[in-house]
Amino acid sequence: MNINKPNRTSRSVLLKGGALAWAQLAALSGLLTMATVSSAGDAQQIIRDRCLSCHSETGDRQAPFSRISQQRKTPEGWEMTLQRMQAIRGLKISPQEKRTLIKYLSDTQGLAPAETEGVRYVLEQNRNAVESLENQAIAGKCSVCHSGARVALQRRSEPEWEKLVHFHMAQFPTIELLAGARDHDWFEQTINEIVPELANSYPLNSTQWSDWKTVKKQPLTGSWRAVGWLPEKGEYEARFTVTALDSDYYNLDIRGKYADGSPLSGTGRALVYTGYEWRSNVTINGIKMRQVFAASEDGLAMEGRMFLRSANELGGAVRAVRESPDRSHILSISPSYLKQGERSVINIIGSRLYGKIALGHDLKVLKILSRSADRVSVLAEATEGASLGKHPVSIGSANGGYLAVYDRLARVEVTPTESIARVGGNGGKLAKQKVAYRAVGYAAGNDGQPGTEDDLRLGYMPAHWSLKAFDEVAEHDKDLLFAGTINSVTGVFIPGDAGPNPARKMSTNNVGQLAVVATVKDGNQQVSGDNHLLVTVPTFMFPVIQ
Amino acid sequence: MKHLKSINKKAKMLDQATGSEELDEVVAMQTVVGCTGVTDPGWEVDPFGGLGSLCQPMESDLYGCADACWWPAQVPDTMSTHPDWSSDVAKANQDWRKLDGIFPEEDK
Ligand code: HEC
Ligand code: HEC
Repeated sequence: MNINKPNRTSRSVLLKGGALAWAQLAALSGLLTMATVSSAGDAQQIIRDRCLSCHSETGDRQAPFSRISQQRKTPEGWEMTLQRMQAIRGLKISPQEKRTLIKYLSDTQGLAPAETEGVRYVLEQNRNAVESLENQAIAGKCSVCHSGARVALQRRSEPEWEKLVHFHMAQFPTIELLAGARDHDWFEQTINEIVPELANSYPLNSTQWSDWKTVKKQPLTGSWRAVGWLPEKGEYEARFTVTALDSDYYNLDIRGKYADGSPLSGTGRALVYTGYEWRSNVTINGIKMRQVFAASEDGLAMEGRMFLRSANELGGAVRAVRESPDRSHILSISPSYLKQGERSVINIIGSRLYGKIALGHDLKVLKILSRSADRVSVLAEATEGASLGKHPVSIGSANGGYLAVYDRLARVEVTPTESIARVGGNGGKLAKQKVAYRAVGYAAGNDGQPGTEDDLRLGYMPAHWSLKAFDEVAEHDKDLLFAGTINSVTGVFIPGDAGPNPARKMSTNNVGQLAVVATVKDGNQQVSGDNHLLVTVPTFMFPVIQ
Repeated sequence: MKHLKSINKKAKMLDQATGSEELDEVVAMQTVVGCTGVTDPGWEVDPFGGLGSLCQPMESDLYGCADACWWPAQVPDTMSTHPDWSSDVAKANQDWRKLDGIFPEEDK
């Protein structure tokens, strides 16, 4: 049966638990016994052996297997399909064969980097993204139950989109009774109007994909400089040392430190799909984490999210550049703002930071506090009349980033702006789904009006965190009392306990509509901003792609 | 609609939406990823961005509300996909602690 273990870490196959077992196995045997780089022939043989009891060989060399050959998707997408084949169709396949197939199918029928742009949040397991699919007709029909990104991360021939609609209708017949569906013939309309839109927006054949297939993929070995952020811990800088174990399969060593100076170190294994989809399981200071990155097309940079495997919602962005003797980079400037007429310590983090430190017009380096190739720390001052706006920073030939010179903090934005938490725990099997917030400061910009296009983004600022009722109903229902608490320093929200609560009207759950408030100090004034937080019931479904 | 002020963008747009087609679009645009709001009732949130018209507490009539397959992306569909999901838990309002999630199969 597929009703699995209670803890969320046990959930996944290749992508989580599976890859760990894999890493352990490889480590145990001392050599890589697993088929990471099986030949295409091996993978096709697995399809013949495992799939053809239900699927068939078409005889068409371009599309040899029925239903399988006319779709392209991400590694997670393929994992999800194979998962369904196992869970409800009765596919029997070994973990190793499954990994080989997911790798082969993602490599040969994957998505080009450009085809995943804007919808990577589901791969990165970001629970607080607000979707905006371009095609409103598709969004209206297809992001009703699950993410629209699940749809937008697939490419199919028109008959394959049509079969997918048939599958939905057969598997979930109530689909035509939902609000917005029951007032018309849902199936007819979806087949006649939406399927052509899907085939048009997300076609099997694209120039992006045919171009990407011709790009020479770079091995991602070497030394990488990275910066990122993690809930409760804050900003960090690190070096990833990546060595090849096999083609597309790497050992990863991570050394670095958090902004407060505490060390960060760990190791892991990474597998790269489709030439750019970096997936790794790492253990950092004893905590199991996962990295979902996309390498740039030239193989010189990576970007994505690293999150806790026991709580995917807790994680943060990561940016890394590959180090090379002939390139230098600035990766982050922290803090990224400096007030007119004030001085503060500015940390510049990057790779090969040699040469002259230039903060731009009207900004002076009063003192170099410490300096290495990785990190330069200076006491900087902005003159009273320093020009407002972004001042590009450079060190020798390294560029990237700016210092925002401002007069007054005018607005604070709480990110994520829309957010969701789910009650849990309380002896039940499902964990609470938390949210980690950060505050972003803005100056008003040239027009002096906060909240307009020309606001100057100052960057992330330390804040004091609190909660309030979102609206009158929330106030009336005392949501603030029941729905959860926020850590005033770290900005991590922990929702209330699962289960009916007899203390509430009709024993309702500890759900609620809250606003998360960040209060930031700027000289003598305090500026607050808030957002929307929906604290709601658990979900029982934990698919690989939401 | 009665219970939300127009600070909620979604509610405001819904106030203006008339047909269900528009309602679909509006909510699809504004909901946090993977949330079911327009299924009427929704699972996480009602079509007006609130919690007022959901089945709550969720456990009290879970099976009646889920009706086997109402929110297949949130509550296991016991009609065809996960028939045994709740078979050990006759009364969700009493034994909700036993209800587990559906996670991708683990490699042995
Ligand atoms: C026991 C029967 C069975 C086996 C074995 C099986 N499948 Fe399927 N497969 C199905 C059925 C039935 C469908 C159509 C319904 C669906 O999509 O779930 C399907 C559909 C698919 C689809 C289309 C899914 C979509 O979203 O449109 C793909 C891709 C697929 N299978 C891949 C595979 C692969 C790869 C294997 C072997 C590793 C495999 N299947 C083995 C029964 C099977
Ligand atoms: C009634 C809720 C519902 C609606 C509406 C819905 N889906 Fe789904 N969809 C599901 C569920 C549940 C699954 C998970 C099936 C499984 O177990 O793999 C799914 C799976 C999928 C998958 C992954 C299939 C695979 O194996 O690759 C895609 C793609 C998809 N849906 C696209 C769509 C499209 C396109 C539409 C609009 C025409 C749509 N969905 C509307 C519930 C829904």
